[in-house]
Amino acid sequence: MPIGSTLAHPAGIQPGGSRKADPMPDVLETSLTAVPANGGGGSAESRPTVPQAAESPAFRHSRTHRLADRWAHLAFLSCSLLVVGLIGGILFFLASRGLAAFWPVAGNMGRALHLSEVFLSADWAPSSDRFGILPFIAGSLGVTGLALLIAAPAGILTGVFIAKMAPAWMRNLMRQVMDLLVGIPSVVYGIFGLTVVLPLVSHTWLADAPASGFAVSAVILAVMIVPTIVSLSTDAFESLPSSLDEGAQALGSSRWQAIWHVLIPAARPRLLTAAVLGLGRAIGEAMAVQMVIGNNPQWIALMRESTDRAPFLRALFTPAATLTTELVQELPNTAAGSTWNNVLFAMGLLLYLLTMVLILATRRLGRGKEA
Amino acid sequence: MLIPTVPETKPIKLSVRNMAFSYGEKKVLDGLSLDIHAERVTAIIGPSGCGKSTFLKCFNRIHEVSSAVNVSGDMLMDGVDIYRGGIDEVDLRRRVGMVFQKPNPFPKSIYENVAFGPRLFGVSDRTSLDGIVEDALRKAALWDEVKDRLKESATGMSGGQQQRLCIARALAVNPEVLLMDEPCSALDPIATAKIEDLIGELKENLTIVIVTHNMQQAARVSDYTAFFWLGKLVEMDLTERIFTTPRVQMTEDYITGRFG
Ligand SMILES: Nc1ncnc2c1ncn2[C@@H]1O[C@H](COP(=O)(O)OP(=O)(O)OP(=O)(O)O)[C@@H](O)[C@H]1O
Ligand SMILES: [Mg+2]
Repeated sequence: MPIGSTLAHPAGIQPGGSRKADPMPDVLETSLTAVPANGGGGSAESRPTVPQAAESPAFRHSRTHRLADRWAHLAFLSCSLLVVGLIGGILFFLASRGLAAFWPVAGNMGRALHLSEVFLSADWAPSSDRFGILPFIAGSLGVTGLALLIAAPAGILTGVFIAKMAPAWMRNLMRQVMDLLVGIPSVVYGIFGLTVVLPLVSHTWLADAPASGFAVSAVILAVMIVPTIVSLSTDAFESLPSSLDEGAQALGSSRWQAIWHVLIPAARPRLLTAAVLGLGRAIGEAMAVQMVIGNNPQWIALMRESTDRAPFLRALFTPAATLTTELVQELPNTAAGSTWNNVLFAMGLLLYLLTMVLILATRRLGRGKEA
Repeated sequence: MLIPTVPETKPIKLSVRNMAFSYGEKKVLDGLSLDIHAERVTAIIGPSGCGKSTFLKCFNRIHEVSSAVNVSGDMLMDGVDIYRGGIDEVDLRRRVGMVFQKPNPFPKSIYENVAFGPRLFGVSDRTSLDGIVEDALRKAALWDEVKDRLKESATGMSGGQQQRLCIARALAVNPEVLLMDEPCSALDPIATAKIEDLIGELKENLTIVIVTHNMQQAARVSDYTAFFWLGKLVEMDLTERIFTTPRVQMTEDYITGRFG
């Protein structure tokens, strides 16, 4: 870069020429004070010799800055690469073990399965070489969907209440309580379900036997994710300007009409995010669900057989299983490389992808409606 | 306080007697008494922070939505106390519309913003709504700019367009009283002129109270002018008298820009 013509184009001094803030003033000062020292007032040709920019302290200063910048850049880059690598590595590991169930791989003990006999079959009897995982997929979706159906409205309405209606002291209290509840380990919720909720509904008109199944699991999951949803939706409503609320009520809406027609739609993108985070926590939960769901891989068959109760009660109170509960139950008891083990990994992979798809889909939904 | 010397033919719509107002402990308005006549435009002027917006909000009780407030004294509309006379504040706000100092469109489409009020009152058939929306947008001098993009989000409009949308939104519910808090502060001269014309038309069957920092505007559009200072009413009179022969020196100083 041409360093000689610094006075005519002071900006040209700057090595690299990209960053503006720091080195500029120093260099300018140096070069300008140099003018009168040399007789000054000369034409462009008789320009005094200016200290070369490369030798000025400002230049060295900027060079160390650039070096530090580079190192910081490198550090950030390697950190993010590490994270991406870890996530990719986990996905690769899951995929290599899970997909091995469907391909004749060297070192595979069992036979290669058909996709349809795994994903489209409800018959799970690994010891008899039958690997239908439909019950677990349906179980996971069912119990999470049900939990969200309970938790999302309850959480969002509680959020509205805390943000827009509660007096200040109650608002502070509720926020702290919610933050505490978010941190409670899931096994505590499981114990609560097992020792309090289950006995409460077992052998009643709801369930003639032990009440394990979707209903209790979903309730426990809902209780578990409600604090997350409350916390995030409170934030969402508090971040709305009060002028929105005032505008709606100035047109003659009641408080509830303003909330329903203006505040909730305005907060929708953030409310959806709250729901997705709750969903993510629910679909991945194994511990709490495992303690109350009954762990019955044959639940679809069992439900078809029994005809003695109303269908919806049967669906809610039949002992069942999900992807996560089955993984926790069986993974420790299977040999690595066996078909059974491989199918369990395939379930893990499915869980991973399912979570991804759900999150991406809901994100897109939120963004699309926002515009 | 106000005893006009020319006979006023219009009845008193809003009447304020010895009113005081505070946000919690903080007293903002004190000892206010004045009358506002139906089908007249009353301008409220005064330096920033003297309580003009606060006073305006007392008429539709909208500050109660987000602040703890204290109001004492009497505020009557058509002779009924709007705080203690058994009027429901939701009903009150349907009769007393407001355009806020800062535009606050809903994050909905332009159409839905204007249709919001009518929908609340149960207007649901498309043709009536379309008619109301177009009419309101025309009055607010916005129709030509937005008629081809009624479905677009209102939050993407310019500040001046948003303010006119808020005017249209308030007009769409056909209020008896319209409170306007510096409605033209974000508007260019052309839109301002249109809004001032609109004010002239609207007062045929509507009571208007307008806050403005623009003295020429107050002189142009209003029949009465009230000058506020530090939460108190200094002087209220016919606008032409306030601007030609004010009784209080402070009023004259403020109007002529010699204040302070
Ligand atoms: N929600 C509120 N809570 C507490 N104090 C408030 C609130 N709103 C306004 N105030 C105070 O009340 C006083 C009057 O405010 P107001 O907005 O009515 O003034 P204004 O005359 O409209 O001023 P401007 O011309 O700048 O709009 C100010 O001192 C302000 O700080
Ligand atoms: Mg104001």
